[in-house]
Amino acid sequence: MGLPLFSASTDPGPSFVHYAEAAGISLSTTSGAELSPHATTVVAVKCADGVVMVGDRQATGGYIASRDVRKIEAADHYTGLAISGSAARGMEFLRIAQLSFEHYEKMSDASLSLEGKANYLSPLIQRNNLTTPLVVLPLLAGWDTSHLVGRVFEYDGAGGCYERNDFAVIGSGTPFAESALRLGFRVDMTIEEALQLAALAIYEAGDNDPSTGGPDFVRNLFPMMVTITAVGFQELPQEYVAATFRTIMERRTQTGGVAGGSLR
Amino acid sequence: MSNYFYVAPEQMMKDRAEFAQKGIARGRSIVAAIYDVGVVLVAENPSASLYKVSEIYDRIAFAGVGKYNEFDRLREAGIRWADGTGFTYSREDVDARALANYYAQHLGDMFTEGQKPLEVELLVAQLGNKLRPTKLYRVAYEGTIADEPHFAVLGGDAETIKARFAQSEPEPLSLALTLQNAVAALAGPDRTIPTTDLEVGILEDRGSRRTFKRLSDAEVDQLRSAQ
Repeated sequence: MGLPLFSASTDPGPSFVHYAEAAGISLSTTSGAELSPHATTVVAVKCADGVVMVGDRQATGGYIASRDVRKIEAADHYTGLAISGSAARGMEFLRIAQLSFEHYEKMSDASLSLEGKANYLSPLIQRNNLTTPLVVLPLLAGWDTSHLVGRVFEYDGAGGCYERNDFAVIGSGTPFAESALRLGFRVDMTIEEALQLAALAIYEAGDNDPSTGGPDFVRNLFPMMVTITAVGFQELPQEYVAATFRTIMERRTQTGGVAGGSLR
Repeated sequence: MSNYFYVAPEQMMKDRAEFAQKGIARGRSIVAAIYDVGVVLVAENPSASLYKVSEIYDRIAFAGVGKYNEFDRLREAGIRWADGTGFTYSREDVDARALANYYAQHLGDMFTEGQKPLEVELLVAQLGNKLRPTKLYRVAYEGTIADEPHFAVLGGDAETIKARFAQSEPEPLSLALTLQNAVAALAGPDRTIPTTDLEVGILEDRGSRRTFKRLSDAEVDQLRSAQ
């Protein structure tokens, strides 16, 4: 690769995707998604001081392909990005998104706004899903440094970007996780309340959806829990996550596997 | 009908070199130096938004003097090259030496074949790790590339500033002392440079992947007054 110089009229600007296209760097558009393990459940919940994200760790083909996939990544300091769908396309999607935000920041000496990041992903999803619909669907959540609030964005298979004012869910366990969130969501929850609710939603999805992994007490593998607040993207330590899911499991054991009339 | 006169190649190169040097000498200079745990780049720059020092990649920084539009385009090309290479291969395959060579080739081409030589001088700094050493590559307007061991000076007044900075300790010092020496070398004995006219960037390991950091005026003030 030589030095990529452009004239002012053909310059691709601060977008990495536009540059990659101009320079002939391959960003795949083919599908082949059915060859790749998939499935997920990730939730993002807004709360008073920001937003929390919780997601399971399992990748499923015909069988369980992996138990420790990281489906939530920091797209940058203030932004979390989660993926559902084809693992191969999803990992590439994460890389392109992370690189694009950093590229923009370096090129123009300013961070993209959170809304700018959310909109940037739309054409990527659209292109990814041209041949096979719903190959990869992301979930974007972050701390908006201009307006000082946590915000959540979800997408449809055509690339449409929708901001949610409560919570958003992606992946095969969506119906179960969403039911738990719909019953439990309150405006202006604390971070701790939002984390507990989001964990319960993922527990529900893992309990009912064969492609979503629940807490794995045998291997000590647990879903990922993340907070994004004014201090940025932070992953919660393993001990906290283990204790959270152990508490849920013990409560459920006492009531013979049913919630028992309340959100617990 | 126009007449073409014979111009000896020596004369042509000399004219071009003079042209480029004059352009470069118009701007203020930059000092880059290796300190005990990083690299500091100090530019005299009255503008708070038109930067001369910037981030290229995780462990690579860029500095340019001369014509802003010319070195800024090369800065953008550097970021694109680095991000493209890191995406195609791996982040650890992005090497400052390769980028400095591309810059040298481009400046060399423009010097001999371009409509006019580029009126810029560039610095590519790399913070070392287990894989690569800490390096300062200086690329001149005609494409010569130099690998400077401890510090580098770019700009019109380079020789004088270089002589002044060379008087300080040859061993890598703390960031504060290195910055103070660099500012003193840029200013000379007869004037002081206000912090608002300084642009300072560092490459230093701070526990994250990206090592470049732009220092604020408050941070620079604190370092300048540190013992």
